[in-house]
Amino acid sequence: MSTERAFRFGRAQHLVGVAGLPDAATPAAPVGVIVLNAGMVHRVGPFRLHVELTRRLNADGYPTLRFDLSSLGDSSAADEAGSQAQQVKADVADAMSLLASHAGCSRFVLLGLCSGAQNAHGVALDEPRVAGAVFLDGYAYRTLGFRLRHYLPRLWSGSRWQRFISRSLQARASQGDDVFAVRFPPREQVQRELATMLDRGLRLHFIYSGGVTRYFNHPRQFRECFGRLADRPQISARLFAGSDHTYALQVDRQRLLDDIATWLRDNFPISGGSNP
Amino acid sequence: MRVEPAQPCQFGSGESLFGLYHPVAGPARTAMLLCPPLGQDMIRSHRVYRQLADALALQGVAALRFDYFGTGDSAGPSDTCDWTRCVADTVAAAAELRARSGCSRVIGFGARLGGAIALEAAAAGRMAELLLWDPLLDGHESVTRLDAAQEALRADPMRFPAPRSREDAADQWLGFPVGADLRRQLDGWRATPATIPVRVFASQPAATHADWPAQLGAGSAVVALSSTASWDVLDRLEHAILAPDLIRAVGDHLRAAA
Repeated sequence: MSTERAFRFGRAQHLVGVAGLPDAATPAAPVGVIVLNAGMVHRVGPFRLHVELTRRLNADGYPTLRFDLSSLGDSSAADEAGSQAQQVKADVADAMSLLASHAGCSRFVLLGLCSGAQNAHGVALDEPRVAGAVFLDGYAYRTLGFRLRHYLPRLWSGSRWQRFISRSLQARASQGDDVFAVRFPPREQVQRELATMLDRGLRLHFIYSGGVTRYFNHPRQFRECFGRLADRPQISARLFAGSDHTYALQVDRQRLLDDIATWLRDNFPISGGSNP
Repeated sequence: MRVEPAQPCQFGSGESLFGLYHPVAGPARTAMLLCPPLGQDMIRSHRVYRQLADALALQGVAALRFDYFGTGDSAGPSDTCDWTRCVADTVAAAAELRARSGCSRVIGFGARLGGAIALEAAAAGRMAELLLWDPLLDGHESVTRLDAAQEALRADPMRFPAPRSREDAADQWLGFPVGADLRRQLDGWRATPATIPVRVFASQPAATHADWPAQLGAGSAVVALSSTASWDVLDRLEHAILAPDLIRAVGDHLRAAA
């Protein structure tokens, strides 16, 4: 059993979130999980993904918090100076303090989709309380392998050309209008930052969907992007090629939830609990 | 004037319903219950509901936003969302709003199926008036439209590299699992004339709502909005709906009525 509690919290009492707190009788989890906004969608997540995810993890014994960053969803601005990145770090620090005070956890896993993955990356870089992160459609870069896999099959397939043209036309029609559009920093920078995180002992899991085939199209591409870094045991990557970017179908969400729950259990097991 | 921060709250049976109460500085002269639409319409209109509640608070109108059981932050998986329960939750939310605001006079507001639910709950929730934004008044029509939209989503080349199977897309409407009860209840529902004043804010072309006055009763009036909300455009399924003209029109109506 677990309970959910709604909170207004933060340094300016400006943030709104819902904490999922496993029953007191459940063995203490080694980490709490904090879920960040996906684009502009409020904390319930696209198609309620964050609600389903946090409740699944609560059932497995992990405390969770899904909340709205400053000015998103139901949260207000903190009315303070500073860059957006600094504000995100301060907001997540507030979220960790809240979950720590109600669930007793001192280390955290961050989870985010799209801009949420970017925010999780930025915070994980130098926040000592972060023990791991799950990046949904996070950073990746086109490689030679990507281009060969992307363009070669189209040369001989009429239906692929047709689909390619249809997608390109639609994409052009809605250019500048992409609700989940994000801008990536240079690959070398991201590679360096990931190495720093791994050196600090963080565990990182990347999950890519078929919604980002414009920059990621094969599990092997992760190594093509990040080189030997990808061979380190604390980092892993998955591709759900048939899914869309926001997991609109229940069967895709279920597969995603299973993968995240398994990764969490393998990397942050609850000792003496129901988790094997 | 400063907007008081909204207060997250949990209420209803077993505190299973999530809400955000927007208080006013000083005593509230009236209160408004904001009934959300269902499914993706709820996610897309979340911002408008928040902006509307903030604007109402500045006018001295307390407001409660809430999620029905099986939706948003409220308890229950999505496939347990049920029409009868939505109506009962709305009645419970009206009582919660009265208790928090101290106002006995409650106005109901709802967009799309949220408008339909507000209409259905108006009598039991003792609402004094209804303000509806692009309400859906024919359940069968809604079921047909949502089924067609789900079929289009399944094969949308912008979403999936290849069309998904009908099995993968079954029993869902635009990203949300749908229980057999909700489908059946909605399919058999049609609006009946209200016994309280109803004001409809219409963003869609006039032809789509020509029969609203007959459906909603003699006390109803339709106000045309200047911008069209893209509710049924698949390409904009994950875009927020913005409606500053709606917020202005609701505010103007309340000022005129005060």
